[in-house]
Amino acid sequence: MKRQIPLIIVIGLGFLFAAHTFIPHKISNDFYEWWQTWSKAISPFAVMLGVMSLFMVHTTKISRRVPNWQYSAITLIALVFTSFSGFMWGTQEGTPFMWLFKNVQMPMGATMFSLLAFHIASAAYKAFRARSAEATVLLIAATIVMLGQVPLGAQISKWIPEASKWILNVPNLAAKRAIALGVGLGMTATSLKILLGIERTYLGGGD
Amino acid sequence: MGPDYHKTGLYLLLMVFSFLLLPISLYPAVDDAQFIVENLQVNDIPYDDGSGLVISWKPLSKEKRIIEYRIYRGITPDSLFFIGRIDVNVKTGVPGEKMYFYDTDFNYFMDVQSFARIRHEKQQPPGSPLYRRYPRDARITGPQLAHYDILGVIDEKDFYYRNRKFEVVTEEDTTVYAGLKVRNFEQLAKKLIPDHEYYYTVLAVNEARKYFPHCEPAMGIPRENSPEPTKEFYAVFVEDINRLQFEWSLPTFTDDHYYHRVYMIEKGDLEKFRDYVAERKLLEENTLAVKIDTTLAVLAPVQENPATLIFQRYSAYPYTPAKTCYIDIQDGRITREKPYPNVFTGEDTAVDVAIDTANIGDYYFVFSLYDAARYETFSEPGQVDVISSSALPVVPQFSVVDGENDKGDYNTIRWGKPVVFLTNSNYLNESKTRLLVNYEANTNKNYKIRNIYFHVYDDDNNLIARINEFYLDSKITLKIPPDTQSLHFEMTFRCNNELGDDYVLKQSLSYDDISKSLSPGNITLGDENLKEYEYYIYKLNYFDEEFRLSKKLQGTQRELDDNIRYENYHFKLVKNYDADKQLYLVTPSFSVRIDDEHEDMIGSNLYPEEVEKSRIEYQKEIDKYQASLDTLVTEDEIRNAESAIEYYTKRIEEMESHPILQQAASYQNAHQRIKFLDKSRHIAKNSFAYKIVKSDGKGHFTETPVYSIEDNKPEDGSPYLISYNNFGTIHFFPRSDWFKTTMLPALIASFVFGVLVFFLIKKAKQGHDLFIRSIAGMQEIDNAIGRATEMGKPILFVPGLSGISDVATLAGLAILGRVAKKAAEYDTKILVPIRDYIVLPIAQEIVKEAHYEAGRPDTYDRNSVFFITTEQFAFVAGVNGIMIREKTATNFYMGMFWAEALLMTETGSSTGAIQISGTDAVTQIPFFITTCDYTLIGEELYAASAYLAREPLQLGTLKAVDYFKLLILIFVISGTILSTVHLTFLINAFPEK
Repeated sequence: MKRQIPLIIVIGLGFLFAAHTFIPHKISNDFYEWWQTWSKAISPFAVMLGVMSLFMVHTTKISRRVPNWQYSAITLIALVFTSFSGFMWGTQEGTPFMWLFKNVQMPMGATMFSLLAFHIASAAYKAFRARSAEATVLLIAATIVMLGQVPLGAQISKWIPEASKWILNVPNLAAKRAIALGVGLGMTATSLKILLGIERTYLGGGD
Repeated sequence: MGPDYHKTGLYLLLMVFSFLLLPISLYPAVDDAQFIVENLQVNDIPYDDGSGLVISWKPLSKEKRIIEYRIYRGITPDSLFFIGRIDVNVKTGVPGEKMYFYDTDFNYFMDVQSFARIRHEKQQPPGSPLYRRYPRDARITGPQLAHYDILGVIDEKDFYYRNRKFEVVTEEDTTVYAGLKVRNFEQLAKKLIPDHEYYYTVLAVNEARKYFPHCEPAMGIPRENSPEPTKEFYAVFVEDINRLQFEWSLPTFTDDHYYHRVYMIEKGDLEKFRDYVAERKLLEENTLAVKIDTTLAVLAPVQENPATLIFQRYSAYPYTPAKTCYIDIQDGRITREKPYPNVFTGEDTAVDVAIDTANIGDYYFVFSLYDAARYETFSEPGQVDVISSSALPVVPQFSVVDGENDKGDYNTIRWGKPVVFLTNSNYLNESKTRLLVNYEANTNKNYKIRNIYFHVYDDDNNLIARINEFYLDSKITLKIPPDTQSLHFEMTFRCNNELGDDYVLKQSLSYDDISKSLSPGNITLGDENLKEYEYYIYKLNYFDEEFRLSKKLQGTQRELDDNIRYENYHFKLVKNYDADKQLYLVTPSFSVRIDDEHEDMIGSNLYPEEVEKSRIEYQKEIDKYQASLDTLVTEDEIRNAESAIEYYTKRIEEMESHPILQQAASYQNAHQRIKFLDKSRHIAKNSFAYKIVKSDGKGHFTETPVYSIEDNKPEDGSPYLISYNNFGTIHFFPRSDWFKTTMLPALIASFVFGVLVFFLIKKAKQGHDLFIRSIAGMQEIDNAIGRATEMGKPILFVPGLSGISDVATLAGLAILGRVAKKAAEYDTKILVPIRDYIVLPIAQEIVKEAHYEAGRPDTYDRNSVFFITTEQFAFVAGVNGIMIREKTATNFYMGMFWAEALLMTETGSSTGAIQISGTDAVTQIPFFITTCDYTLIGEELYAASAYLAREPLQLGTLKAVDYFKLLILIFVISGTILSTVHLTFLINAFPEK
């Protein structure tokens, strides 16, 4: 029963929502909207699970004094203090919560994001090493596309921006669409497997 | 020697705490007096219905780092409630010299989220008059009903079924109300009452959220004003059909407009009329002045309006806009069967005026807006423009059909034949001999465009290009001679219906020196310039007295999808309250529909017994007025009594004979009765009649008759369910559709796919060998787990950053189940960091089950599947930290990823881990391919679970995907070949959306 009831719910509602895609009737729309409002109720409970998980992982690390347990302490202190400041003084502009968000979280996030530039350079170097015929084609195509995006490309030859546009709009778009087509079918197949009860791993465990 | 982690941790802790102290240390102490808002003024808003005040003040300087101004209002200066705030950009401050806050119309007053009890504003000294928003406590808010008009927005279910019958007994009579709790209202909105005093104050809040002292409260009184003057008014006389046509510009403030009027003035009376208008203005100013200073003398009107009323249109409640009207002159007279009423003065104005059409220039016409406060504002008098009917635009035939593929909230209005017009052009080469021209084609379902033929001529009328546009992609390219200054296009169509040989649209492109390109000019069809005219769509339901202007559309439009919203709310003025029971009281009566003559509203009551009581009351009123007739002396008194008798008699007749009310009375079950009345109300509200006006905006317009389909009779013959079982004859009720026809190809494809799946599953179960191509990434999973086991290091599995509703996450979790089982078999630790908290318990359960299935429940560690954070880059930091600290041997990334993908895989690459990734995010695939050892591209992610399971059910599905892909490929190639030879039926068979 532990697995059958969720499975029945998934299959039943799955078919209903699949039918909703084809049925524009008010009854279908009302049901969909009604269900969406209910589904929102799940989130707050799930947040609690997330916070509990965080506490369990880090309190275990602290209590066992595993290496680097101090980071866990910082994580928990930050979690408690941020939550406390939010509950105590609100989350509006000018509150300690917003101060923390703007002066701690945002710069830290931006720092992580800015690392991407260096990683892209490194990845590009790896990708563009002309070790094979395919890599050489990639290198040439990438060079043309990059030059086509900047004024220098047009200065070198008026054909570079055109070629860049062609690469992006024809072979690149064709490949993207082919992937999208496969992804679409894969999604449909996975959804169908879930609806038919073939795929059950999401319920926990294998089959 | 390694780092001392205890010390490092301590330093970090201290650092974090020092950060927390920063906000306190950054803000120096300030002198509060310098932060008090100055120049607070409260002024009446002109041209409104007396419910608007504008509050203005001088903003504080940018240096004071204000982030918010908070506004408070009350009926006395000693208790002021928060009503709104204006946010300020702390860096730029407020650029102007003044800030404004408009307290006008119905706006938020209270709802279920309001405080239960009255609360003082934050950071206020004892005795402060400032409070937060009005609480939902009826003991505090109820008395405010005397000072505000409170409008309740009530969901129909709450109004019908969650009310409590409440009787208020006074010495004179007993009034029955429907009592509702605050939670039954979506919102309670307030409106200021004219001539009442309201006090306002403002305080500033700085970036540290310090509430500075408020300024001295200022008082304001909203006053009823006359409507704003109409900016444009056009009068046209169509001499061959003896018709006067009028068009005017729409006003901005419409709150209390009650009538639209048109007057006629003889030339000789023009000065008198101007004097009359000046006197009206003077009287308005005097009325206002007397209200302020009661010692002033009240001026009495002296002059009579020399203008003659020739047209009046009811335009209130709710405001029904219109911008055109016409009057037919018959036998040299403007006449009207019924006189125009004035509900405020009780006077009826009969219209029977002689007009000399031969000397129409001797007359002036004027348009006026008349409001509920009996103020009237006149436009500037103007003379007529005399034209003949041949100068009027021709309105093409139009039809109204039920909106397709909707939930019953659209009617579609279609008119005319297709139109194509050029929108802009660009040179494609430096020598300016190749031109890209963009066009727009508008049509409706009556005329489906198959081909557009463009014939392009030069100035000497030489044909320079002929283009057959068989696929409408909104652009054409053509070769043009060098230095072309203008091009002339002729555009014709091939449609599913015949258009006629003379249906040719013409448009020119001329060189524009500013844009340095060929710019499109007028679009002509015959002699008509399509850009010159607009279509006004008027509609009328069974709730309005008059047609309302619903939409204004350009002359090139050919179709309108008219949205008819399902309104599930009742709007009720709150009349009373009960503090003990915490109830707000509204009238239990409600409108059902207007009568067939669009004159009187037919209504009912929540409580059936009250309907009967009303009938008795009406009869009493009739008896009373009839008895008084013998004693009344003046004509006015007698006329009033007679009209009252007529009114009450009509009400009783309706109650006794109207089919809806009759049927409602027949229900024994109260719930059924309300359900029936609500259904009738919905039909009445959502059934619309339509007419179209085509105009140049200056009175040269043609109005169509109201559209009707006589043979579209209601199936059940019920006179009141006019269009419920059918679309309608004049009033059209949109129907809910049960199938979205645009989704038919998708349904067929799903069905074919489903059949393929079943067929191949069956085949696989029968033992047929289904070939599945090898996927390197999948084959390496076992090796990767084995590597981690040999190294004694954990495995990291990231199931994407998306939520559970993303199919990629489900695919990732399916792979997690297989990987976790294998890891459990090898007794290798698996770490699963999670970003979405709904995914967390699912992933935990999957890993737990995998351990059970592997026969190693003892090795399952609940903390190995853990939540990090929902923040994207914080999550990356966490995962990267794990990779570096735990030295994971194998990293799996399976699911949906965004910009964080490369950050994680590059870190994993630097730690020397073997990495296997899979995603359907096209933008991240290149990064994965570059930095990971193996990558599952797009659909391979979804195939992975089946590939690993090797079960007939899974393999059958996987194989079906391959066959279906083949089918799609066949369609793509066929479509490409067919459309290349101008056969577009296949590509047109698939909807674009």
